[in-house]
Amino acid sequence: MDSQAQYTPGMVRMWRIYRTTKQMCRDRGYDIPVEDTEISLEEFAHRCRREDGEPERSQLHYSATPTQEMIHKYTPPATAKFPNPEPQIGSLWVEFNADENAGLKQLREYMVHLAQNNHYSGILVTIKPMTGMAIRMLRNATGVDGQVLGGVEVFVEQDLLVNITKHELVPRHILLSHEEKKQLLERYRLKETQLPRIQVTDPVAKYLGLRRGQVVKIIRMSETAGRYASYRWAI
Amino acid sequence: MPPNPILNNSTVSTNAPPETKAVNQRHLNVALQHANIIEQRKKVEAQVLESIIALMDFPNSPDADPKRPSASDATLFREHLVLFQPSDYDSLIEERNIADKCGYTLCPRPKKKTRSGAKKQFVDTERGVEIVDKKVLEVWCSEDCAKRALYVKVQLNEEPAWTRPESYGEKIELMVENPEEHHKVLPLRLKSENLTPTPTKPSEEDEIAAAWLARDDALADLAIERGEKPGRLSKASKDLMTANIKERVASATPPVAPSLDDQPSQAHMAIEGHVPRENRRDQQLDEEDDTEDWDRHLPG
Ligand SMILES: [Zn+2]
Repeated sequence: MDSQAQYTPGMVRMWRIYRTTKQMCRDRGYDIPVEDTEISLEEFAHRCRREDGEPERSQLHYSATPTQEMIHKYTPPATAKFPNPEPQIGSLWVEFNADENAGLKQLREYMVHLAQNNHYSGILVTIKPMTGMAIRMLRNATGVDGQVLGGVEVFVEQDLLVNITKHELVPRHILLSHEEKKQLLERYRLKETQLPRIQVTDPVAKYLGLRRGQVVKIIRMSETAGRYASYRWAI
Repeated sequence: MPPNPILNNSTVSTNAPPETKAVNQRHLNVALQHANIIEQRKKVEAQVLESIIALMDFPNSPDADPKRPSASDATLFREHLVLFQPSDYDSLIEERNIADKCGYTLCPRPKKKTRSGAKKQFVDTERGVEIVDKKVLEVWCSEDCAKRALYVKVQLNEEPAWTRPESYGEKIELMVENPEEHHKVLPLRLKSENLTPTPTKPSEEDEIAAAWLARDDALADLAIERGEKPGRLSKASKDLMTANIKERVASATPPVAPSLDDQPSQAHMAIEGHVPRENRRDQQLDEEDDTEDWDRHLPG
């Protein structure tokens, strides 16, 4: 299109944020068409533009469902006791909060919405960092009103302006399935606690929504050694 | 990894650092004590969160009067506050404000809305027109609530509940105008020293008001001496408050009520002078360091 000049900075900003969330969901394994991750500014603005030219965030919420591949990765291996284990993943609800300040009130309302609509997990994007107490509530994760099985993640808009994983210095991180993890540990006769670690609060771990206990394979490119991989245990 | 004989069967094993040698009883005791403190802290933090969730929509009745709270509301409020530090109380005010409520827990009214949307506002005060943050203005419904709220805050214990001595009996007093309704239940303070429900004599009130005015002047002088703007919120003046509280609590003398008649300085807004943020990280995590990479080629 001609230029970005006809859109407000707030619109351009929101467009970037929205695209990053779509890419993030797709990279995690949700069923997101690639076109969604490449939506044009024009189309985006058409969808959510208010009269004052700013984006109407409530028009942007969406849900996503996991692909078969993702469901497989998140299904624990069958055991004698649990011959048909449930996948630990399900529908995801992504919401863009429009309040200038978000605290316990917004978080509670969001969790109630997730529970009422049977979403497995949620991503809440806020304008500013949430209050300390809301963060405490997330961390304690003992859902007060509605229990959300897969938990709630919160991102600040600012952190989604660019997709950090697209940076050339960030190596690829790939989540291992339960079987892959088991094979890795057996092959090297390791306990998972012996693996180097990655914090779940690490930016890439947050991007991928890593949970405690999962293992990621990190593939680096090196001029001298070529392609090599290492493994990290999320903690 | 060899099993650690000392930490077997103890709840600390996951938190304690790996030990190569047997440790003596003293070390074990220290470890246990630390584990206990961490455990206590988690409990207290969870309870404070629950209290804030309970108090952020308080009071339940839309007709409740912050000047004359019901005995049950007052009791509940005071009970929830026992574990609070001043920063927790600030969090409560922050959450109430986000929910559009007056920062004072016993007030059902919405917080004040400034007329313009500007971030800085001009306010008429005794000292002339001052520029005040919009955020500071929009904390309470009225000056009266601000004072009642601050009266509670200065009584809160700076020391976290998980390290307080067990014998610590916290008694938070409220500023109310219906002490007769609370008489049997609570130790309450009138805004004046008169504890009987009979109306106070105006002369007495004037005297008290004058005393409080003098106190405000003294505070202002001190602020100037410290190079601060009098009447404005500042770290130093907050610290000053803090020192007072501790002394009061230790000597078990009741806190002194600020008079409602004292001048509309903005000092009482200091409650919002800082925004509490939870930023404590889990401490047990390794640093991200490439040198400790456990590099290897892909299996298979
Ligand atoms: Zn009020």
